[in-house]
Amino acid sequence: MENRTKYKLKAGDELASILAGKDNLFVIACNKCFKEFDTVDEPDLGEFEKIAAENGKTITGSIKVDFLCNKTQTEKKLQDVVPEGTENIVVISCGLGVQTVADMKKMPVFAAANSLNYTGHHGMALTKKSCDACAQCFLNITGGICPIVDCSKSLVNGQCGGAKNGKCEVDSNKDCAWEKIYRRLEKQGRLEEFLNQPVQIRDYSKTNFKFVNDYVKSIRENRLEGYYGGVHPSERKELSEHIPLVKFPDPEVVAIPLSMHAGAPATPVVEVNDTVKVGQKIGESAGFISSPIHSSVSGTVIAIEPRLHPTSGNQVMSVIIKSDGKNTLHESVQPKGDLDSLTPDDIINIVRESGIVGMGGAGFPTSVKLKPNKPVDTILLNGCECEPLLTADHRVLLEFADDVIFGLKAIIKTVGAEKGLIVIEDNKPDAIELMQAKVADISDIDVVVAKTKYPQGAEKMLIKRVMGRQVPRGGLPADVGVVVSNISTTKAISDAIQKGMPLVERVVTVTGEHMKKPGNYIVKIGTSVKELIDYCGGIVGDDVTIKMGGPMMGFVLNDVNVPIMKGSNGIIAVDTDHTQTVECIKCGRCADVCPMELSPLYFAKYADEENWQGMKDKNVMDCIECRCCEYICSSKIPLVSKIKAGKGAVRGMK
Amino acid sequence: MLITELKPRETIVSLAGDKKVFIINCHGCKEVHFPEKEAVELQKEMSADGKVTGIITTDYICNPENMKLRLEKHMGEIEAADVVLVLSCGVGVQTIAEYLENKKVCACCDTYALPGFQGVTPLEYDCDQCGECYLNLTGGICPITACSKSLVNGQCGGSKNGKCEVDSNMECGWERIYRRLEMVGRLDALKCPTQIRNYATDDEVAK
Repeated sequence: MENRTKYKLKAGDELASILAGKDNLFVIACNKCFKEFDTVDEPDLGEFEKIAAENGKTITGSIKVDFLCNKTQTEKKLQDVVPEGTENIVVISCGLGVQTVADMKKMPVFAAANSLNYTGHHGMALTKKSCDACAQCFLNITGGICPIVDCSKSLVNGQCGGAKNGKCEVDSNKDCAWEKIYRRLEKQGRLEEFLNQPVQIRDYSKTNFKFVNDYVKSIRENRLEGYYGGVHPSERKELSEHIPLVKFPDPEVVAIPLSMHAGAPATPVVEVNDTVKVGQKIGESAGFISSPIHSSVSGTVIAIEPRLHPTSGNQVMSVIIKSDGKNTLHESVQPKGDLDSLTPDDIINIVRESGIVGMGGAGFPTSVKLKPNKPVDTILLNGCECEPLLTADHRVLLEFADDVIFGLKAIIKTVGAEKGLIVIEDNKPDAIELMQAKVADISDIDVVVAKTKYPQGAEKMLIKRVMGRQVPRGGLPADVGVVVSNISTTKAISDAIQKGMPLVERVVTVTGEHMKKPGNYIVKIGTSVKELIDYCGGIVGDDVTIKMGGPMMGFVLNDVNVPIMKGSNGIIAVDTDHTQTVECIKCGRCADVCPMELSPLYFAKYADEENWQGMKDKNVMDCIECRCCEYICSSKIPLVSKIKAGKGAVRGMK
Repeated sequence: MLITELKPRETIVSLAGDKKVFIINCHGCKEVHFPEKEAVELQKEMSADGKVTGIITTDYICNPENMKLRLEKHMGEIEAADVVLVLSCGVGVQTIAEYLENKKVCACCDTYALPGFQGVTPLEYDCDQCGECYLNLTGGICPITACSKSLVNGQCGGSKNGKCEVDSNMECGWERIYRRLEMVGRLDALKCPTQIRNYATDDEVAK
């Protein structure tokens, strides 16, 4: 791979003159970007230290930093690293890095390197093609060959006449760009079109620092608003957001996995040939972090056997029930009374016995969340639904607003919080308007509108954005006095109290460019994904990927004969991605978008080397697997699977 | 990473004319900037006329290998079109134009440079990659980018009340440099010999 390094250490004599009369140096070296990521070692720092020693200088310390130009992260990395007695700081980086440091430290800062301009290699993938970013693209009249870059004279109105045998008179190794353009246009039969073009005039005033600076500043503010990083994938929610909820026709058979939650799988409490009713408990919670399971239909248990689990990919013990089509309610399904008459412990008990777990996907038992071991002042209701395509929570907000508010009141009462905030992203104005009207008279509940940015629905990001609080490394929301609950989960709490109905159905968005008839359905847990897709008219086109969940964090379903679970918020049919992984070029965009402020590029490198200690040192366990890094990666590296491998290995190390 | 701006609507419409078009959107540098809303709106209108054979949205079409893999299954729609409209930076358009050599491939965007930001994090700082860093003499404020005249030997004398005479919204770069040097006690740096800027190509400097 070509060396595309952006800076070069200044020559020894120049460095000597810079250092003349200065001593006690602290050296900051940037680990170069845009280069083949085969080694972490950079020779520049060593070379500089050698030169400094030859000149009899004292070095008080040094640090190597990735992406020194990343102000947010650099500020943190350089905190308290410069020792007492340091008089001068020397920076080995491009001009961006030097200026970042100079602006931060109240000490003389010196540049030990010159920045180089590798015009043409600023595309994210390193290609030989070049673009001078002239701001008035001429490619439309030149058959897609750039006259600014390919012609040595950057002529925009045809050849200079100086070419000899098709070679440029300035550089005889170079083909004349205008001959290339002519041949391309001739081939396409566009010569007449070209000759009829008016004379082009290049406007050099189009790009100026101020324009670009203002631009970047506004984009940057937008990017860093609320919390560091994040991305804005195409939402495509218009496919299903306006389609009202429909009750999905009762399935004939349901297959209910005994593991739809974080923690121990439930223990079956029914046997084959038993008759069960809707809401009847069929699996008992098997530990503190576990959850009971209930039947979603009335009928007969026809099997208890391992079945394919949609998200883990393993065979998991499941209860298969043939429906009698009558939907007879179990005797235990009785309203549990009003909120005033219930104690917090009563509510926790109801929530536990109703098998309610986080319905955003993680499946953490909600009853555990409702008993935080730290004082909680605020409940955040997570109505972001930041995953593209999904509209399940959006529809629940619109159609079950009162139930959601009831559920929120129940949570506030249970944990003794001061207030509840319903956080909705600004791409759901109808839900915002409705909820604002509904809570107008409720003193301790408010609606917060959050600017759309993925992964805002991740609880740590949500807390940062809304409360400005930082959940400590490895900590829980309760550590900063917050409990976060998902919209559908909150509605389930309301159903459990008001109707006595355990968690046996949920809202699922069935959508995607390749789904014939997208929609939002109320689906019984255990319904086959295949039935759901068939009901929606099936898949259109070939070469389709089906996922359970959204496009960012969803799980690919290779087999659609799997059941809808408590955490299944969507079934999507999208284009298959046909890209191939290429080598990491250390562009640093993954570090730029990681909301947990990690450096995912190292995870890719360390996973390949099986350097699990390195993974651990780079805080791989903090990763929330939001897939922002993989989304932005220009080398198409499957970062999340590498991270998952690393997490598995690190867990094994303990 | 580059900034792309949509060309004027009339220009794009005239590129399509009454011909059949296939449209390729590149979202690779979207987090830096891509005029997504306007682009989607425009394409909806164009599709309404029934002259669009297909639209794909992908990322990093500047990566030729992956671009080919993604275009492969759309070759039928591309063949059926007279013009391929590409919404990307100039690198992307050229990559497509070379791959579809016999097709008229048109750019719907103008590309603006991110001076100094081809690296990693788009920041408001500037580096013009001049190849002969002056930051040592200027307290870490770049005279090439902070001074509208890119003067390397001190102020021009035209600033008024600390504002640049070229752009009155801009602070005089050399006043900033002076204040910074004063703050860190390095005003002696101004006594350095006269600087001469070397405009030689980077290839030479890199050697």
